[in-house]
Amino acid sequence: MTVGVPGWIRTNLFSSPVDGVITIVLAVIIAIGAFNAVSWVFFTASWEVITSRVPLYVIGRYPQDLYWRPETALLLVSVLLGMGWRMWGGLARGFAIAIIIITLLAGVLPYLGVDLSPPTEPDAPPNEPKHLVNAMFILNFVAVAVGYGLAMIPSIGRAKTFFITAIVFFIISAFLIIGSSYIPGLDPVPTQDLGGLTLNLLLAAVGIVCSIPIGIALALGRRSQLPFLKYFCVGFIEIVRGVPLITLLFMSRHILPLTFPETVSIDELYLAMITITLFSSAYMAENVRGGMAAVATGQTEAARALGLRAWQTTIMITLPQGLRNIIPAIVGQSIGLFKDTSLVFIIGMLDLVEMGRVTIQGNLDFVDDGHEVYIFIAVVFWVFTSSMSYVSRRIETALGVGRR
Amino acid sequence: MQNVLNPGGIPFWRNVVFIQWAVQIVTAVFVLAIVAGFIFNVANEIREREIPFGFSFLDDAAQIPIGESVIAYDPSQSYLYGFIVAALNTVKASVLGVILATLLGIVIGVARLSRNWLLSKLALVYIDTFRNIPLLIQLLFWFLIVLELPNVREGYVFFDSFYLNNSGFYLPWATPLGGFWPWMILTFAGIALGIGAYNYLQRREITTGKPSYPLIAAFVIFVIFTVVGFAIFTPWEVVAPEPQGRFGRLQGGAKLTGSFFALLIGLVIYTSAFIAEIVRAGIQAVNRGQTEAARSLGLNTIASLRHVVFPQALRVVIPPMISQFLNLTKNSSLAAAIGYPDIVSVASTMTQIAPAISLIGMVMVTYLAMSLFYSLIGNIYNRVTKYAGVG
Repeated sequence: MTVGVPGWIRTNLFSSPVDGVITIVLAVIIAIGAFNAVSWVFFTASWEVITSRVPLYVIGRYPQDLYWRPETALLLVSVLLGMGWRMWGGLARGFAIAIIIITLLAGVLPYLGVDLSPPTEPDAPPNEPKHLVNAMFILNFVAVAVGYGLAMIPSIGRAKTFFITAIVFFIISAFLIIGSSYIPGLDPVPTQDLGGLTLNLLLAAVGIVCSIPIGIALALGRRSQLPFLKYFCVGFIEIVRGVPLITLLFMSRHILPLTFPETVSIDELYLAMITITLFSSAYMAENVRGGMAAVATGQTEAARALGLRAWQTTIMITLPQGLRNIIPAIVGQSIGLFKDTSLVFIIGMLDLVEMGRVTIQGNLDFVDDGHEVYIFIAVVFWVFTSSMSYVSRRIETALGVGRR
Repeated sequence: MQNVLNPGGIPFWRNVVFIQWAVQIVTAVFVLAIVAGFIFNVANEIREREIPFGFSFLDDAAQIPIGESVIAYDPSQSYLYGFIVAALNTVKASVLGVILATLLGIVIGVARLSRNWLLSKLALVYIDTFRNIPLLIQLLFWFLIVLELPNVREGYVFFDSFYLNNSGFYLPWATPLGGFWPWMILTFAGIALGIGAYNYLQRREITTGKPSYPLIAAFVIFVIFTVVGFAIFTPWEVVAPEPQGRFGRLQGGAKLTGSFFALLIGLVIYTSAFIAEIVRAGIQAVNRGQTEAARSLGLNTIASLRHVVFPQALRVVIPPMISQFLNLTKNSSLAAAIGYPDIVSVASTMTQIAPAISLIGMVMVTYLAMSLFYSLIGNIYNRVTKYAGVG
């Protein structure tokens, strides 16, 4: 009765008359929905609003002469993905293969007559293929291979090396993309020209990476027995967690500039980064506090019995174990923060969502293409967030959090 | 008495009391210096750039239109009143959103645990999709859908009384008549008596073992008071919206404007995906042995759910649920993107004339008050449900 395919169907779909009715009704609804969705995607929808302006969604109005900079950053990410592929396989492999395919297409298509460059003025001459840009795209798979090869060396293919490399590469990539007036050859890119998905990823990455140390400091402050320090940290954490990110972004636009002298004009990009980092630190602090509270008291007692001082116990025993507990929570927070970066439209930045909105509201050709744009953006976000939550579940299982 | 700063000849700089005070003072000076520098800098800039500041503007006429309001408003009223109107709009969106998201979330969460494979997977897809897409895109998308609805005269009509079109959603609503307040008093009396009867009968059932049907009795008392009161006073009547005049403008009933409708749909769907996961985890957290024990003690299915499973599941469910309610309230600030006049959107309009710093401060204090309210509820709940002898 419960064996094989018929048995499975009987237990899981038709275990009672009511169950059977539910199954049939749902199946009909799903079939109709799927049919409509497929026919809309392939026949009704007009995807020109996406295909004719791919670079805008990926990186905004970034100057085309400087495309080599984000591409170098992409090469660095590819090296990391190659290492991840060798070390863990799974999702890293999927992402590495996806990136190889996408970059190959991006590099080869211009020579097959498909123009992928951003839209230009109506009278401008047609875009010439940019050989350097395309070559970097085509050779992206080499970077993946280099990463894969590096990870085969036992001393490099370790999680610790991977994370240190990731941090170093992240800092290099951020400087490459944004530019800095202090580094010759890397002129800063105007903030208005930086946008699209790259901006969302950049803001989320900066927010998470920078909020970890600040969050740890705040959490330690909150655990401290010194009332002044403690209540300062509690106040900061609770105020930031109690108000929406939008109000903080508003504040950053109106108040943060006043904390600098009038001659220093601070860029929206840095305002956004500072605000998002501070916002994220308050939540990170609560994660760290939770992780440290979950460390068994026996650990602290044993450390004290071995003669470690209070601060040594915290730094060497409680904090590392607490941080290990919260890795899944940090991934979860990255998902939330990545979604929240779509709010930077408040301070006038053109992230992926705002780029979509500007496209349909500012172009008479695309006024009716709202569904296509929003669904495309939703799918892009969904791919990133749901793969992050998949990673989080895998790490959770690997660490055995909650099972010890 | 020993010298506090020099017990047993330990040098004072290695004394715990001294170290703690020293760290404390250093931190205090450090923090105060930063805060003072911040305030000084801002105050200085405000003075030098002649940025308006202060709260004297609150009594002036706001002169800004607010699309919809819970209480009557017109632009000649003061900034303060306009701010309160906007705050009430936020409260309205969050209260309705919290109620609907909880109901939908429970349904989805239970569906996720269904033994029907198709239903369970459908719930999983729902949760996975709506949790992982930024709320802003969802709101923009729903708003687009609402705007694309046909206009008033060609809109959808359900049962001759629900109207859905591009100006919003119209539904029948009760209009209070003369006898409203006496009826309300009678209804509250019914609720109070019902609760009293419930407590008394419940105690009787537990102490004597005689079946006393406390829930049914309480419900009957409440219904009798309400219905009799309604018959005596005729407190309200339900008015359905009706098209008026040449352009088919809808009059009567309640109206949810397009942007409010889109905001509500977006908030409810987004939050319900999170609540569904909480509900699922809560139900799974109750040990199966609890149900089995309850059944073997002779409780029937409903009684074992009510007295054994739900109280334990609620203990796990309520704290994260309250934090979701708070999230929903904070997320309602995204209304600014689709033109619903919530507190953030109205305050940002006001900043065109009124001092921005004061307004942002007021908005933040309002949100902090709301989040304090939620954590108050959470704390009360934790105190009430604490296991005797634990914590």
